Amino acid sequence: MVERLVESVLAGPGQAASELRRAVFARAFGPLSSPRSRTERATGGEDIAPDLAGYIDKVALHAYEVRDEDLAALKQAGNSDDVLFEVTVSAALGAAVGRLERGLGALRGEASPPDSLSTTSSSPPVPLSAARRGGTQEQR
Amino acid sequence: MRLAAVEHGHRLAQRLKLLLIRVVSMRRVPDVVKTLFYRPEFFGRPMCDWTQAVMRGPSPWSVGERELFAAFTSRLNQCLF
Repeated sequence: MVERLVESVLAGPGQAASELRRAVFARAFGPLSSPRSRTERATGGEDIAPDLAGYIDKVALHAYEVRDEDLAALKQAGNSDDVLFEVTVSAALGAAVGRLERGLGALRGEASPPDSLSTTSSSPPVPLSAARRGGTQEQR
Repeated sequence: MRLAAVEHGHRLAQRLKLLLIRVVSMRRVPDVVKTLFYRPEFFGRPMCDWTQAVMRGPSPWSVGERELFAAFTSRLNQCLF
Protein backbone atom coordinates (compact mmCIF):
# COMPACT_ATOMS: atom_id res chain seq x y z
CA MET A 1 0.00 0.00 0.00
CA VAL A 2 2.89 2.33 0.73
CA GLU A 3 4.24 1.42 -2.71
CA ARG A 4 1.02 2.69 -4.29
CA LEU A 5 1.34 5.99 -2.43
CA VAL A 6 4.99 6.39 -3.44
CA GLU A 7 4.17 5.49 -7.04
CA SER A 8 1.35 8.04 -7.17
CA VAL A 9 3.47 10.86 -5.77
CA LEU A 10 6.59 10.12 -7.79
CA ALA A 11 5.15 8.92 -11.09
CA GLY A 12 1.59 10.30 -11.19
CA PRO A 13 0.62 13.32 -13.29
CA GLY A 14 2.11 16.52 -11.92
CA GLN A 15 3.69 19.88 -12.65
CA ALA A 16 7.14 18.93 -11.38
CA ALA A 17 9.03 16.45 -13.56
CA SER A 18 8.84 12.90 -12.26
CA GLU A 19 12.67 12.80 -12.25
CA LEU A 20 12.75 15.81 -9.94
CA ARG A 21 10.18 14.24 -7.61
CA ARG A 22 12.25 11.05 -7.49
CA ALA A 23 15.41 13.02 -6.78
CA VAL A 24 13.64 14.93 -3.99
CA PHE A 25 12.33 11.68 -2.50
CA ALA A 26 15.81 10.12 -2.65
CA ARG A 27 17.45 13.13 -0.99
CA ALA A 28 14.90 13.19 1.83
CA PHE A 29 14.97 9.40 2.21
CA GLY A 30 18.46 9.52 3.76
CA PRO A 31 20.88 6.64 4.06
CA LEU A 32 19.75 3.07 3.61
CA SER A 33 20.17 0.59 6.41
CA SER A 34 20.14 -2.44 4.15
CA PRO A 35 21.61 -3.21 0.73
CA ARG A 36 18.23 -3.96 -0.86
CA SER A 37 18.22 -0.63 -2.62
CA ARG A 38 15.05 0.96 -3.90
CA THR A 39 14.83 2.31 -7.41
CA GLU A 40 13.86 5.73 -6.06
CA ARG A 41 17.06 5.80 -4.06
CA ALA A 42 19.19 4.86 -7.03
CA THR A 43 18.19 7.94 -8.99
CA GLY A 44 20.21 10.14 -6.60
CA GLY A 45 19.70 13.82 -5.88
CA GLU A 46 22.06 15.43 -8.36
CA ASP A 47 19.58 17.56 -10.35
CA ILE A 48 18.17 19.66 -7.51
CA ALA A 49 18.74 23.42 -7.44
CA PRO A 50 20.59 24.59 -4.29
CA ASP A 51 17.68 26.66 -2.93
CA LEU A 52 15.30 23.76 -3.42
CA ALA A 53 17.81 21.36 -1.85
CA GLY A 54 17.94 23.49 1.31
CA TYR A 55 14.15 23.50 1.51
CA ILE A 56 13.95 19.74 1.00
CA ASP A 57 16.44 19.13 3.82
CA LYS A 58 14.41 21.38 6.08
CA VAL A 59 11.17 19.56 5.30
CA ALA A 60 12.89 16.20 5.82
CA LEU A 61 14.66 16.99 9.08
CA HIS A 62 13.06 20.02 10.75
CA ALA A 63 9.71 20.61 9.08
CA TYR A 64 8.62 22.76 12.01
CA GLU A 65 11.29 25.30 11.01
CA VAL A 66 9.76 26.02 7.59
CA ARG A 67 8.78 29.68 7.41
CA ASP A 68 6.65 31.80 5.11
CA GLU A 69 9.85 33.34 3.76
CA ASP A 70 11.13 29.95 2.58
CA LEU A 71 8.10 29.45 0.35
CA ALA A 72 8.03 33.09 -0.72
CA ALA A 73 11.66 32.87 -1.89
CA LEU A 74 11.02 29.65 -3.81
CA LYS A 75 7.95 31.19 -5.47
CA GLN A 76 10.01 34.27 -6.31
CA ALA A 77 12.49 31.94 -8.00
CA GLY A 78 9.74 30.85 -10.37
CA ASN A 79 8.32 27.71 -8.74
CA SER A 80 4.54 27.43 -8.99
CA ASP A 81 2.33 26.43 -6.05
CA ASP A 82 1.74 23.03 -7.63
CA VAL A 83 5.47 22.38 -8.09
CA LEU A 84 6.12 23.36 -4.47
CA PHE A 85 3.20 21.20 -3.29
CA GLU A 86 4.59 18.21 -5.16
CA VAL A 87 8.16 18.84 -3.98
CA THR A 88 7.00 19.21 -0.37
CA VAL A 89 4.95 16.00 -0.48
CA SER A 90 7.81 14.13 -2.17
CA ALA A 91 10.27 15.33 0.49
CA ALA A 92 7.96 14.52 3.41
CA LEU A 93 7.16 11.11 1.96
CA GLY A 94 10.83 10.37 1.30
CA ALA A 95 11.77 11.24 4.87
CA ALA A 96 8.85 9.19 6.24
CA VAL A 97 9.52 6.09 4.14
CA GLY A 98 13.25 6.36 4.91
CA ARG A 99 12.52 6.33 8.65
CA LEU A 100 10.02 3.51 8.21
CA GLU A 101 12.62 1.41 6.36
CA ARG A 102 15.30 2.13 8.96
CA GLY A 103 12.88 1.43 11.79
CA LEU A 104 11.89 -1.90 10.28
CA GLY A 105 15.60 -2.57 9.67
CA ALA A 106 16.29 -1.97 13.36
CA LEU A 107 13.57 -4.46 14.28
CA ARG A 108 15.32 -6.97 12.02
CA GLY A 109 18.51 -6.28 13.96
CA GLU A 110 20.30 -4.28 11.26
CA ALA A 111 22.65 -1.47 12.25
CA SER A 112 21.32 2.00 11.59
CA PRO A 113 23.60 4.14 9.39
CA PRO A 114 24.55 7.71 10.26
CA ASP A 115 22.33 10.41 8.83
CA SER A 116 24.04 11.96 5.81
CA LEU A 117 21.81 15.03 5.85
CA SER A 118 22.87 15.98 9.35
CA THR A 119 26.12 17.85 8.78
CA THR A 120 26.55 19.74 12.03
CA SER A 121 26.45 16.90 14.50
CA SER A 122 27.23 13.21 14.66
CA SER A 123 24.20 12.55 16.82
CA PRO A 124 20.98 11.72 14.97
CA PRO A 125 18.18 14.29 14.71
CA VAL A 126 15.22 13.85 16.99
CA PRO A 127 12.91 12.08 14.50
CA LEU A 128 15.48 9.35 13.87
CA SER A 129 16.02 8.68 17.55
CA ALA A 130 12.25 8.62 17.86
CA ALA A 131 12.10 5.96 15.17
CA ARG A 132 14.66 3.90 17.06
CA ARG A 133 12.86 4.28 20.33
CA GLY A 134 9.61 3.37 18.63
CA GLY A 135 11.32 0.25 17.33
CA THR A 136 11.91 -1.07 20.81
CA GLN A 137 8.20 -1.09 21.60
CA GLU A 138 7.87 -4.64 20.37
CA GLN A 139 10.20 -5.88 23.10
CA ARG A 140 7.88 -4.91 25.93
CA MET B 1 -1.44 27.61 4.73
CA ARG B 2 1.55 28.89 2.78
CA LEU B 3 0.49 27.72 -0.68
CA ALA B 4 -2.54 29.58 -2.00
CA ALA B 5 -3.43 26.71 -4.32
CA VAL B 6 -3.71 24.29 -1.39
CA GLU B 7 -5.69 26.84 0.62
CA HIS B 8 -8.18 27.90 -2.06
CA GLY B 9 -7.54 25.90 -5.21
CA HIS B 10 -9.67 22.81 -4.60
CA ARG B 11 -11.90 21.36 -7.29
CA LEU B 12 -15.67 21.59 -6.93
CA ALA B 13 -16.25 18.18 -5.30
CA GLN B 14 -13.57 18.78 -2.67
CA ARG B 15 -14.70 22.37 -2.17
CA LEU B 16 -18.20 21.14 -1.36
CA LYS B 17 -16.85 18.60 1.12
CA LEU B 18 -14.71 21.27 2.80
CA LEU B 19 -17.77 23.51 3.03
CA LEU B 20 -19.76 20.68 4.58
CA ILE B 21 -17.01 19.99 7.13
CA ARG B 22 -16.87 23.68 8.03
CA VAL B 23 -20.65 23.94 8.44
CA VAL B 24 -21.04 20.73 10.45
CA SER B 25 -18.01 21.26 12.69
CA MET B 26 -18.58 25.03 12.92
CA ARG B 27 -14.81 25.40 12.80
CA ARG B 28 -12.10 26.31 10.36
CA VAL B 29 -11.08 23.23 8.37
CA PRO B 30 -7.63 22.02 9.53
CA ASP B 31 -4.78 22.54 7.07
CA VAL B 32 -4.04 18.82 6.98
CA VAL B 33 -7.53 18.17 5.62
CA LYS B 34 -7.12 20.87 2.99
CA THR B 35 -3.83 19.27 2.00
CA LEU B 36 -5.40 15.81 1.71
CA PHE B 37 -8.26 17.24 -0.37
CA TYR B 38 -6.00 19.11 -2.78
CA ARG B 39 -5.58 17.01 -5.95
CA PRO B 40 -6.54 13.92 -3.89
CA GLU B 41 -5.56 11.43 -6.57
CA PHE B 42 -1.95 12.64 -6.29
CA PHE B 43 -1.49 12.29 -2.53
CA GLY B 44 -4.59 12.48 -0.33
CA ARG B 45 -6.42 9.37 -1.47
CA PRO B 46 -3.50 6.89 -1.43
CA MET B 47 -2.28 8.50 1.82
CA CYS B 48 -5.69 8.04 3.47
CA ASP B 49 -5.85 4.43 2.28
CA TRP B 50 -2.47 3.78 3.85
CA THR B 51 -3.31 5.65 7.06
CA GLN B 52 -6.59 3.74 7.39
CA ALA B 53 -4.81 0.40 6.98
CA VAL B 54 -2.04 1.28 9.44
CA MET B 55 -4.19 2.95 12.09
CA ARG B 56 -7.40 0.88 11.87
CA GLY B 57 -6.49 -2.27 9.96
CA PRO B 58 -5.58 -5.69 11.42
CA SER B 59 -2.66 -5.34 13.84
CA PRO B 60 -1.31 -6.79 17.11
CA TRP B 61 -1.54 -3.20 18.43
CA SER B 62 -4.82 -1.76 19.61
CA VAL B 63 -6.21 1.39 17.96
CA GLY B 64 -5.44 3.32 21.15
CA GLU B 65 -1.84 2.14 21.21
CA ARG B 66 -1.38 3.12 17.58
CA GLU B 67 -2.83 6.57 18.21
CA LEU B 68 -0.44 6.92 21.14
CA PHE B 69 2.53 6.02 18.90
CA ALA B 70 1.37 8.64 16.40
CA ALA B 71 0.96 11.33 19.05
CA PHE B 72 4.35 10.48 20.58
CA THR B 73 6.11 10.60 17.20
CA SER B 74 4.42 13.88 16.32
CA ARG B 75 5.52 15.33 19.65
CA LEU B 76 9.13 14.42 18.90
CA ASN B 77 8.73 15.99 15.46
CA GLN B 78 7.43 19.12 17.21
CA CYS B 79 4.16 18.71 15.32
CA LEU B 80 1.46 18.52 17.99
CA PHE B 81 -2.03 17.18 17.45
